[in-house]
Amino acid sequence: LTNLFIFPFFFCRNLFTRKPNARLEKPNDVGWKLFGKVPVRENSQKDPKNVQKEYEEKTGRAHRPLSPKQNVRKNLDFEPLSTTALILEDRPANLPAKPAEEAQKHRQQYEEMVVQAKKRELKEAQKRKKQLEERCKLEDSIGNAVLTWNNEILPNWETMCCSRRVRELWWQGIPPSVRGRVWSLAIGNELNITHELYEICLARAKEKWRSLSTGGAEVECEDAGFSAADREASLELIKLDISRTFPNLCIFQQGGPYHDMLHSILGAYTCYRPDVGYVQGMSFIAAVLILNLDTADAFIAFSNLLNKPCQMAFFRVDHGLMLTYFAAFEVFFEENLPKLFAHFKKNNLTPDIYLIDWIFTLYSKSLPLDLACRVWDVFCRDGEEFLFRTALGILKLFEDILTKMDFIHIAQFLTKLPEDLPSEEFFTSIAAIQMQSRNKKWAQVLAALQKDNREMEKGSPSLKR
Amino acid sequence: MAKQYDVLFRLLLLGDSGVGKTCLLCRFTDNEFHPAHISTIGVDFKMKTIEVDGIKVRIQIWDTAGQERYQTITKQYYRRAQGIFLVYDISSERSYQHVMKWASDVDEYAPDGVQKILIGNKADEEHKRQVAKEQGLQLAREYGMDFYETSACSNLNIKESFTRLTELVLQAHRKELAGLRAAAAPADLARLDEDELPPAGAEEAPKACWC
Repeated sequence: LTNLFIFPFFFCRNLFTRKPNARLEKPNDVGWKLFGKVPVRENSQKDPKNVQKEYEEKTGRAHRPLSPKQNVRKNLDFEPLSTTALILEDRPANLPAKPAEEAQKHRQQYEEMVVQAKKRELKEAQKRKKQLEERCKLEDSIGNAVLTWNNEILPNWETMCCSRRVRELWWQGIPPSVRGRVWSLAIGNELNITHELYEICLARAKEKWRSLSTGGAEVECEDAGFSAADREASLELIKLDISRTFPNLCIFQQGGPYHDMLHSILGAYTCYRPDVGYVQGMSFIAAVLILNLDTADAFIAFSNLLNKPCQMAFFRVDHGLMLTYFAAFEVFFEENLPKLFAHFKKNNLTPDIYLIDWIFTLYSKSLPLDLACRVWDVFCRDGEEFLFRTALGILKLFEDILTKMDFIHIAQFLTKLPEDLPSEEFFTSIAAIQMQSRNKKWAQVLAALQKDNREMEKGSPSLKR
Repeated sequence: MAKQYDVLFRLLLLGDSGVGKTCLLCRFTDNEFHPAHISTIGVDFKMKTIEVDGIKVRIQIWDTAGQERYQTITKQYYRRAQGIFLVYDISSERSYQHVMKWASDVDEYAPDGVQKILIGNKADEEHKRQVAKEQGLQLAREYGMDFYETSACSNLNIKESFTRLTELVLQAHRKELAGLRAAAAPADLARLDEDELPPAGAEEAPKACWC
């Protein structure tokens, strides 16, 4: 760190930091001093002689940190140094003065440095201004979008939701303030779940927790066939998984603001659908919904979402049907990205390796949360097909590097996607994926494969893949 | 160009949810321990190259989701493994009881020559211990497995257990590895299954792949 810090002043003979004996090292060559100040966070840019900031950014960019955690640490490291000033000084009085020529040279160097720093400073300021303008523009457009959604679209949902204009606006991302409402409307409530039903399920779940924690007698429930031990395991698993759901956000863990909500929704669901129960991956879906909706509405959206055919197939781990989904996915994979498809085949990299995680959590675990929410936006608009289109978009975005990787590297890469995915490129890449294969749409391809499967099973049960 | 590795094979981590499979793995590959890590959905992957008896071994480790429901999926991966860790948590009697179920699934779905090792994890949580070390040893004896009590948290026996399983797999594949030093290309034991050989006795097949 110190090296980076000194670098622009390599011809500067002495560095006065807080190290007390720095002055003693070469007492004869006092040129100019470099002061480190404890910065005030916000106004560092106002300091005209701030040279450090640029290096901070430069180095920050040069070795882009892999994890946000590292990033935070790095910034903290830099913080105390983020304002610096360069001051030209004469030698102390107890030493012979510099020769005029040398003094002149130093003055010149000093001035050059100051000019350079000012130039950089100006450039930085311009850049910042531009960024600010862009931000304002973005905020304006979000503000406008909020108005449009609130005043025009939401009140006339039924008539407007399928219009071209709304669909386009939808693709650009739903503003966070209306996101929950749009999701609720788009997911619908086929199951006719009311807030009261949620309360009933929750009360039952709480009863179960109580009886299990007191080790009490059997609670007789309609979910016959599920032993008490299984139920207990499932409840314990919920507890365990809540602490492992978005641990970085620190809001779902014990004591966090959303812990009880998440616990309630998952518990209520196990009482609402004892035949499905709790399956790992659900906690992520419930968590994303909680971030956008009130508890009861989140529960309604959660239950209806899981009731969709694709989600049911996965959460009930209907392996045959899952394989059909993977097969349909491969049809579009081959169509859109034939080269990569062949490469994956050669490396025996089957879609289950990466799709299981992506589909089970609806991308909320593998993508940055803001991007995941945008995927959910369009998933609510387009349905399950968009989940597979997103997968192809990811593969397309990284096609070049993926074709150079072997099995394990691809598997590692896809199960842990880069955290700094550029959102615009990401959605451009998804948009470029055609969900048509020989004039057949996703639903048709899937239905055809399902039919084949059924016939095959009828013919010979052992022929299942 | 020097070979990056001499042999490649796959290890699989199995055991109940929450016994610490992902933590064991993170400790082994990255020497990191995060008490608040994220749940594993489906399967995760890691890789590390280690040297055993002068042989550079690249191991791919498949870290599976522990929930019973996922076993329909994860069973498909058993046959791709050359070595398997059966992991329980010393502070959970239930996870220990379940090892028997995991072991019988392995017998059913993994290739015959697969090497197994028993791990009692979270050995640092002595105050919560529900499974005595002797119980672990006894179970391991019954199944003819090696046994380690480990702790990802305090880094106890992590390297040892991974190295031991690696040695066992190497020993089991001695025949294929005999000509190793002469071979120019790495031996890919993991590729065996990809040729769709019948799982039984596949390892002993002379056409073991050197490519």
